[in-house]
Amino acid sequence: MTNEEFRMTSEAPNPNNEQRAAPSVGAISSFGLRHSFVIPSFFIRHSASLLLLSPLLVLAEAPRPTLPLEQRTNGKQTLAAVEKLKPLTTACAARIESALGRAICAATIVGEDGYVLFKASEVPDLGKARIKFGDGRTTELREVHRETSLDLVMAQAVGITGLRAVSFGAARPLAMGHWLCSVADAGKEPRIGIVSAKIRRIPGTGAALGIRMDEKTPEGAKGVRIIGIASESPAEIAGLQENDVLLAIASKNVAQYREVHDIVNKRQPGEIVEIRYLRKNKEETCRVRLASRTKVLQNWEGEDFANGGISLRTDNFPEVLQHDIPLLPTDMGGPVATLEGKVVGINIARVDRVTTFALPVEAFWTEAQQWMQADRHPPKAVRAE
Amino acid sequence: MFSLCTPFQRRAATILVVMQIIAAHALAAGGSDKSATPKTDIAALLQVQSDVQKLLPQVRLALVAIQTGGGTASGVIISADGLLLTAAHVPGAPGKDMRVILEDGSVTTAKSLGMDKTTDAALAQLKKREKPWPFVKLNREVANAQPGEWCFALGHPGGFDKARGPVLRVGKIVKQTANSLHTDCVLMGGDSGGPLFNFTGEVIGIHSQIWENRDQNVHVSMAPFLRSWDAMQKSEVIKTWGIGAGGYLGVATVMSDDVELAVADVIEGSPAQKAGVRAGDVILSVNGDAMTDQQQFTATVRARAAGDTLKIKLRNDGKERELSVQLAQKPQEEGQ
Repeated sequence: MTNEEFRMTSEAPNPNNEQRAAPSVGAISSFGLRHSFVIPSFFIRHSASLLLLSPLLVLAEAPRPTLPLEQRTNGKQTLAAVEKLKPLTTACAARIESALGRAICAATIVGEDGYVLFKASEVPDLGKARIKFGDGRTTELREVHRETSLDLVMAQAVGITGLRAVSFGAARPLAMGHWLCSVADAGKEPRIGIVSAKIRRIPGTGAALGIRMDEKTPEGAKGVRIIGIASESPAEIAGLQENDVLLAIASKNVAQYREVHDIVNKRQPGEIVEIRYLRKNKEETCRVRLASRTKVLQNWEGEDFANGGISLRTDNFPEVLQHDIPLLPTDMGGPVATLEGKVVGINIARVDRVTTFALPVEAFWTEAQQWMQADRHPPKAVRAE
Repeated sequence: MFSLCTPFQRRAATILVVMQIIAAHALAAGGSDKSATPKTDIAALLQVQSDVQKLLPQVRLALVAIQTGGGTASGVIISADGLLLTAAHVPGAPGKDMRVILEDGSVTTAKSLGMDKTTDAALAQLKKREKPWPFVKLNREVANAQPGEWCFALGHPGGFDKARGPVLRVGKIVKQTANSLHTDCVLMGGDSGGPLFNFTGEVIGIHSQIWENRDQNVHVSMAPFLRSWDAMQKSEVIKTWGIGAGGYLGVATVMSDDVELAVADVIEGSPAQKAGVRAGDVILSVNGDAMTDQQQFTATVRARAAGDTLKIKLRNDGKERELSVQLAQKPQEEGQ
């Protein structure tokens, strides 16, 4: 079998995904103009010599009135409109960061006594993260409940009280074009946008490593050889390289690409799997954090249409509210409110340049209240203080 | 790759004129221009919301998804008989059959007509049907659109998705050039060819390209559409200056001291030289239309395809004469 044939059988898109993926690939030619600014000088000279040889033309492009940054949709002057919503939005958000202070995601405060909700797949191990509030208080997190179906985790900020919890309002009645206000910069800055598409379910496509595989291994090693790695994929981030031979994933030996596929695809984006592999005849191990298949596919060509990256998990949600607020993956987990200050959802996935998903309040709040109540009043309560 | 950038450079002369128009307009508008008000309040945002939500149910019916061999894009219907605006890079050539998905998911076909490849404007015709097509109006005074004005974009980013439907973006005009509008309505692949609307629900632009930042989204304005309308309806292709069929005459012009349009130079071997145009000639009219400035002359010539014949009336040393010039294709080696 040639590499090409293996491509068809590796982590290449299934027919359904292919239909979804093809459009963006097809459009790259016209939209991938990253460097449109660079206009070679010969065009300028050339245009001047063609039909018009006038002093006007030699001036090349004249300055045109450009809207100052502060007056743009998410510029300071426009955001002044939502300044008074801050106590209901940014004040009800916090920042989840690594031990070194790197932003991981945002969190939404749902209980005065330290209960917060945020994006589960971005924070697989709460022991390695901490929470920082707007007033500067920083503390550890205790996991209360992890709900993979919603990609939400509820945690309690240890030893914190007197927080301002969000006030929820209904998301389902919001029509396209309804203004929303959210928080960026890990909970500090307001940003606005609108409901940009129908509320709907987002089916899952499974997790992926971002590799292309070949069963033919050197010197008969029993494993699966990596023959290609997608840019910014889980495999690349974990340090895997072409020609590494995968021996075992999550303690299961693999000898066929199907086995790799089966193990990976059953897991959720954000989950960590340990991989044992052979590099230059030496056995090594690494830990890989899986991502959504859709994320991996978008990155095969190394094109980042999202400006700032996309979330590890971008699909498999029971219901999402789609909006056009300009946010980063590290802003996920923060609240999304109406201009009345009612929080209607929690940002759950940065998907591409134009799309952010929020879980509408209806999809999680009834359940989340139960997690909080059960934790506050457990049968044998030992409260973390 | 660069061909998509050339228009920005090429129209430098026209740009200045538009600038003057904008300046004049701004003066006329005075302080009444709401968009220039420094601070926005919630009431202003809610007004934007109510305007968009009022227009959306109507205008979204005119949005279509277009599927070509190379991918998917968007388009907008602008007449009851099914004339479609899209971006030139969507069909790529005239006479292309395209699969079209309407807002409700029903499928039909369209054939591409002409296009202006220099600006990325294109026309297409939907398959005839008895029932009139839902359509939106196009704006004929796009030059008046000001930076800071609110606008909204529709399209099918990433392709048609029935569960999702069309995707709305609301933003502001960041700037206008001779042929394009730049906005902070964020676009991506699949949006190409989709409409940008003003707040009267008229199409002011067609999504064309993005640059790296989220505020850098470029739409072809209605200006090149209207300028090249006749040619595009006849399925003609207006190519880039250098390579183009878009009326290669081969003269350089200058405004004389008497503010007349004069020939500054004639390119060796060009149609103009062969017809007898000489440096120093004053250009009085083309096909009977009086020529008063360079922009008008450029546009007049450019609107004709290679092979078309122009009647040019000239004056030199007080003597008038009329010449027939057959426009040629610009030689490739000079174009690149």
